[in-house]
Amino acid sequence: MAVEKPSIVAIDDEPDFVDTLKEYFELRGYRIKIASRVGPGIDLIGSEKPDIVILDLKMPGINGEEVLNILRSKKLKTKVIFVSAFEDAGKTKSRMLAAGAFAYMDKPLKSIKDLEDTVNKAYSEK
Amino acid sequence: MNAFAGFNLLIGTTSLLFALLIIRFGNVRNILHITLLLLNIALVIWGYGCMMSALSDNPASAMFWWKIAHAGGLYTVVFFLHHVLALTENKGRRVLIFGYIMATAFQVCAAADLLQIKMTYVFDSYFYITPVGMAYPIFTFLWCAIGFYASFILFDAFRKSHGEKKVQFKVLLMALVICFLAGVSHFLTVYHTNIYPFGALLVPALPIVATYGILRHRLLDIEVIVRKTLVFAGLLASVFAALILPTLLIQEYIFRGAGFGGKMLGLAVSGVIIIASFRRIEDFLINITDRFLFQKRYDYKELLKTFTSEVLTVLDLNKLVKLTVDKLSDIIRLQSCGILLLNDEKNEYHLAASRGIKEKNVVLNVNNTLTSFLTRTKMCLSIKAHGKEYQLPEKIVLDMNRLKLELAIPLMTSQDEMIGILTLGAKKSDEEYTQDDMDILLPLAGTLAIAISNAEMFVELGKTQAEAAQREKMAVIGTLSAGINHEICNPLGIARGQCEAFLLNIKDGLYKNRTHQELVEKARKIMEKVIHETDRATTITKRLSTFAKPSKGDISNDISVKYEIDEVLALVGYEMKLDHIDVMNKIDENLPFISGDKKQLQEVFFNLIRNAAQAMNEKGRITVTAREDSGKVIMCIEDTGHGIPKDKLAQIFNPFYTTKEPGEGTGLGLFIVRQVVERNRGRISVKSKVGEGTTFVLEFPAVAKVKV
Repeated sequence: MAVEKPSIVAIDDEPDFVDTLKEYFELRGYRIKIASRVGPGIDLIGSEKPDIVILDLKMPGINGEEVLNILRSKKLKTKVIFVSAFEDAGKTKSRMLAAGAFAYMDKPLKSIKDLEDTVNKAYSEK
Repeated sequence: MNAFAGFNLLIGTTSLLFALLIIRFGNVRNILHITLLLLNIALVIWGYGCMMSALSDNPASAMFWWKIAHAGGLYTVVFFLHHVLALTENKGRRVLIFGYIMATAFQVCAAADLLQIKMTYVFDSYFYITPVGMAYPIFTFLWCAIGFYASFILFDAFRKSHGEKKVQFKVLLMALVICFLAGVSHFLTVYHTNIYPFGALLVPALPIVATYGILRHRLLDIEVIVRKTLVFAGLLASVFAALILPTLLIQEYIFRGAGFGGKMLGLAVSGVIIIASFRRIEDFLINITDRFLFQKRYDYKELLKTFTSEVLTVLDLNKLVKLTVDKLSDIIRLQSCGILLLNDEKNEYHLAASRGIKEKNVVLNVNNTLTSFLTRTKMCLSIKAHGKEYQLPEKIVLDMNRLKLELAIPLMTSQDEMIGILTLGAKKSDEEYTQDDMDILLPLAGTLAIAISNAEMFVELGKTQAEAAQREKMAVIGTLSAGINHEICNPLGIARGQCEAFLLNIKDGLYKNRTHQELVEKARKIMEKVIHETDRATTITKRLSTFAKPSKGDISNDISVKYEIDEVLALVGYEMKLDHIDVMNKIDENLPFISGDKKQLQEVFFNLIRNAAQAMNEKGRITVTAREDSGKVIMCIEDTGHGIPKDKLAQIFNPFYTTKEPGEGTGLGLFIVRQVVERNRGRISVKSKVGEGTTFVLEFPAVAKVKV
């Protein structure tokens, strides 16, 4: 019995990181699209209308926070999960959560499984 | 020649020798030396005059010589009084003036034949005077009265004195009283007591006992050179005797039969021996006398000169105290010497430099009896001077012995703080510390205290600067952490993710359909990525740690500006990229090396580039250029930021000048940058236009062309 899996768009300026996510999630039956630049990433969100967006925070060009604001302004129901190496004693984390992000996870991830669980949790709360 | 003439020959000769000794080694400005010299000259005149009188074969001749002798004899007692008054610092001048008037009056009387005396043949051997009226008895009485008065003053002073001074008084009292009594014995003959004037034999006691006093008890403070001269001459003479003896033996026993030729040969042999060995023996003797007898009074001038020119100007604290101890030991010839310095934090005085002190790590608490004594009294402490008077507490003596000190001088600052203690051990000559020593050592200690506090402040300043520089750097690194974190956590995230995904995929059976070959290929790719990412993280941490380490002060002559700028850009590049700042690196290839402290220069470049980035509030361009121009490497770091207004431009290199919010910056960045640049023989200047940007220009002397 195949449970319906959420669709995902992952945007991170580290191509290897999104590649890792793509392989992991695809093998487990998720639909996942990746982008290592923000512009194409936003286009992907527009075209794919994913359930979940996995976002890096600090990226050249438009950063993750702006992406979140765009999504919120478009009133999309897409859940945003930040996965970032940016660390400033939790300040940004709480700001993102307040701004409507579903979760904020630190790089490196404790386990990629945690991310999968968070994705599923976000999807189930949709 | 009769016995009386012999006695007086002895008096004249010993007094003459003593007078010569004082002339040679004494001090013409010292009243003690002058009066003693006058006394001896008077005795010389008296002695030789009496001798000649006693040798005269007729009364007229005897009378002539006696008048001469009388001229000296009259004044002996007055000079004696004068000396005693000076020695005891007695202010009683009236008796002295009276004495001089009396002596002169009698002198005039004698010359004018008014003394009412005649010559009588006594003891069947010589002519001597006999008074015929009252004039001479009056003179006798007055002469003796002055002599007794002087002896009384000396005795009184002796009774009241203590320590070294008492011994000196005792010696002088003995000599002068014996001498005076001997003089009195002359009058026995005058008044026909028929006692032969053996007392005259005692007169040489004055020079002899006084010489003893000089040698043994530093009478008149001329002991040292005298002692050295005597000992050296004695040693030299004995060596010569030892050399000549074999010569004589050779002549007497070996070449006895050889007549004149043999004697000449013997002389030649000893001549050769003496010539060959003289120099060496002389050196040896000088060495021995210097080392063991040590009579040479140290040269105050040398001490002062050495101190003012060589020692007190030293700013390195350790060097300063070490040099002080060494120079003091060498010049004053001390058995031991040390300097204790206050450690403010631990409230302890620790031995910072020493010589001749076995225990190298002596530490005295500020509450220690010795240190608190010095702190409270602010006076020097001498083991000898105090030892005789009152017992020092056992604890103090114990510490004094540990430090082998005879004299401890507190080093006081102008704020009345005792920052250290100068400890001086016994002199190698075993002499005690005199007032002369103190007169030079105390001001010296004062100056030393100033030099030490200067050196300490210098160290403190250096430390503060280094600390400020390090704090500034750490603050800078703190703000960098966003970029750094990104550069470290991302590779780690990827490496971890790749490995974990592979393992989970296997565990979850997702690779079931893959061939073994495919899995190995997959694993290979993952491992390559992991290695790549770990390398990436390693590079950044290495860069950061080399950058964060404080400079060791090594100077290199092969600093490539291009390489260092590349390193800095690698460190800050990512953050700049995030902030949309373009960095244009326009450094000439084949630029000459510059010389300096690599870390410090990295710091300069880092600070300037980071400042440029911060001046731009995101978006902008930093251009780094470097070129060679007439033996100099000229670098420009240019930004397109908001610029610095003219009135602020002059202040930017001042310490604590900052435009940032409190807590954001220390304001030391550019201040330190300029210091570091100048320390590395460079120059820094700044140009700026509000709204257009700022350019920092650095100039360093070029070292050599890069080999292509």
